Amino acid sequence: MMPADVADDRRAATSTQPRARIASSARRLGTLAGLLGLCLLLWILTPHFLTTSNLLNVLEQTAINAIIAVGMTFVIISGGIDLSVGSLVALAGVVLATLLHGGTPVLVAIAAAIAAGALFGSFNGMAITWGRLPPFIATLGMMSVARGCALLFTDGRPVSGFEGGFRAIATARIAGIPAPVFLTAAVYLIAQFVLTETRFGRYVYAIGGNEEATRLSGVSVRLHKTAVYAVSGATSALAAVLLTARLNSAQPIAGIMYELDAIAAVVIGGTSLMGGEGTLSGTLIGALIMGVLRNGLNLLGVSSFMQQVVIGLVIVGAVLIDTLLKARKS
Amino acid sequence: MRLRCALAILAAIALTGGCNRGGPETTGKPRIAFVLKTLNSPFFIEMQRGAEEAAKRLDVDLVVQAAEREIDVEKQMQIIENLIQARVSALAVTPSGSREVVPAVGKANEANIPVVIVDTRLDENAASQAGVKTVSFVGSDNFRGGLLIGEYLERASRGNARVVILEGIPGHETGDSRVRGFREAIKDSPGIRIIASQPANWERDQGFTVFQNMLQANPDLDTVFACNDMMALGAIEAIAAAGKTGKIRVLGFDAVDDARKAIVAGTMEATVAQFPSEMGRIAVETALKAMKGEAVPADVTVRIGLITRENVSE
Repeated sequence: MMPADVADDRRAATSTQPRARIASSARRLGTLAGLLGLCLLLWILTPHFLTTSNLLNVLEQTAINAIIAVGMTFVIISGGIDLSVGSLVALAGVVLATLLHGGTPVLVAIAAAIAAGALFGSFNGMAITWGRLPPFIATLGMMSVARGCALLFTDGRPVSGFEGGFRAIATARIAGIPAPVFLTAAVYLIAQFVLTETRFGRYVYAIGGNEEATRLSGVSVRLHKTAVYAVSGATSALAAVLLTARLNSAQPIAGIMYELDAIAAVVIGGTSLMGGEGTLSGTLIGALIMGVLRNGLNLLGVSSFMQQVVIGLVIVGAVLIDTLLKARKS
Repeated sequence: MRLRCALAILAAIALTGGCNRGGPETTGKPRIAFVLKTLNSPFFIEMQRGAEEAAKRLDVDLVVQAAEREIDVEKQMQIIENLIQARVSALAVTPSGSREVVPAVGKANEANIPVVIVDTRLDENAASQAGVKTVSFVGSDNFRGGLLIGEYLERASRGNARVVILEGIPGHETGDSRVRGFREAIKDSPGIRIIASQPANWERDQGFTVFQNMLQANPDLDTVFACNDMMALGAIEAIAAAGKTGKIRVLGFDAVDDARKAIVAGTMEATVAQFPSEMGRIAVETALKAMKGEAVPADVTVRIGLITRENVSE
């Protein structure tokens, strides 16, 4: 293909972006308004919500889901879905814990766990690209494979008890702020840079928007898609590091259904399941809405069953508003 | 536009939610939180009932919370953290993970909220390493329960059985103790052999599938001991599906209503009755005492009993 065509195609792919960008920033403001409104409501309903210690508590609790949701955002923007993240959390967690118990230095063990997550994630990507499997099927398979591996690896038992240095990842406070909050912020800043400022990030949008056009313009869709699932595996593994430090234990049955919480954060944040559009800031707000909601419902002493109803309604409601607005616009 | 939409919805929630205001937090009564493993199982629903009755009698505000999934100990930790933020006066917790819940108990310690552990013990090593303190443990002696079932099997089978065990979630103290008690009871009967032992995570559907697989692998098994009734009930369905009802002895644990019915119907032989409502009652009483600074026993053992066809209708 001629270089000129490539340029043309790229222009074609990006020409719709300004309008999309305006729409998505309006969408983000809406989600942010939702979050602030929710906070306002809880502030009225309970004196225990708007306290420094509780807000830090919510941020700390949201960290794990928020980090998994970063990889999920990449995947969903690229037009895919990753159902294996919860199982990858378990697998990376037991790899990490076993290495730590074996006396591996903390940083090496963490690096190995993240590498394991990225490796299994890239298997997802390869099954989807070279194997031409639908993402739903490939990652559904991985969900079971990774879970099974985690159980086999540990004989079904949790691996627990670590030294304080490792646990500090979850328990330390810097200037009164829990360490997981800093970790989450760092992950979002890096991911935001990758998604918006690098070629890889733009290809992720392009693949989700029109995969065929992206391929025809000379981009290696296979390679980039595989990388997207590797990112998702890596963020799941990072969440596993946090989870393991937090509970002082890695369970092979950890992370069951975490994929649903991550997907919920992404869609509440305005990322389209059809691919091609979405933002990380939206995802972060989405994860915070889920965290604040759970926290608030606990503070209010709302029945556990009612909590599930409310959380479900919020997820559906957020996406419903989105589709209604879109329908009106077109 | 969107903003107005979102605000309208929130206003609507505020109006409906506002009606509940003035509940627990403004009454000035002591507020005790009870964090259960789950509310999807009859055992914990019974425990909740006992706790609520005690709370009513003692004029205590009781908040009962449980994670969406029994095995999700991280969510249980979140609930405990949130209840600490809500400044409850005391906490009663049935741990979803004997070790994993220890950090959450540590946070309650820091906030000076007394913690009563119910049903499943904390892992002693993990607790002592982390330096966390609980005021009391309220629960059944699960080891003794396993012993009761094992002794029953010895009598009923005259020392001759091929047994498979359905375990709870691996690493759970409750299930492990039951299995240890069971093994202890049969260790002097060479004719009773354990041919397989696998986890089915306390769940009915997993009890079904795991047992079905065990039956495929060991067609000559004649006894199944499930560490709780839910898994036993799953196994009973698998036995029926294989057309072997009446040929395999089913032993459970917990004596939930469905298990009692199964014993009456003859599809289950024995189970161990725990008294979860008593656990709930004692947990609330103990938490209230601890909150007031009164002395409480470090260990409260709630009675258990073997249930068979002879005494099931008592």
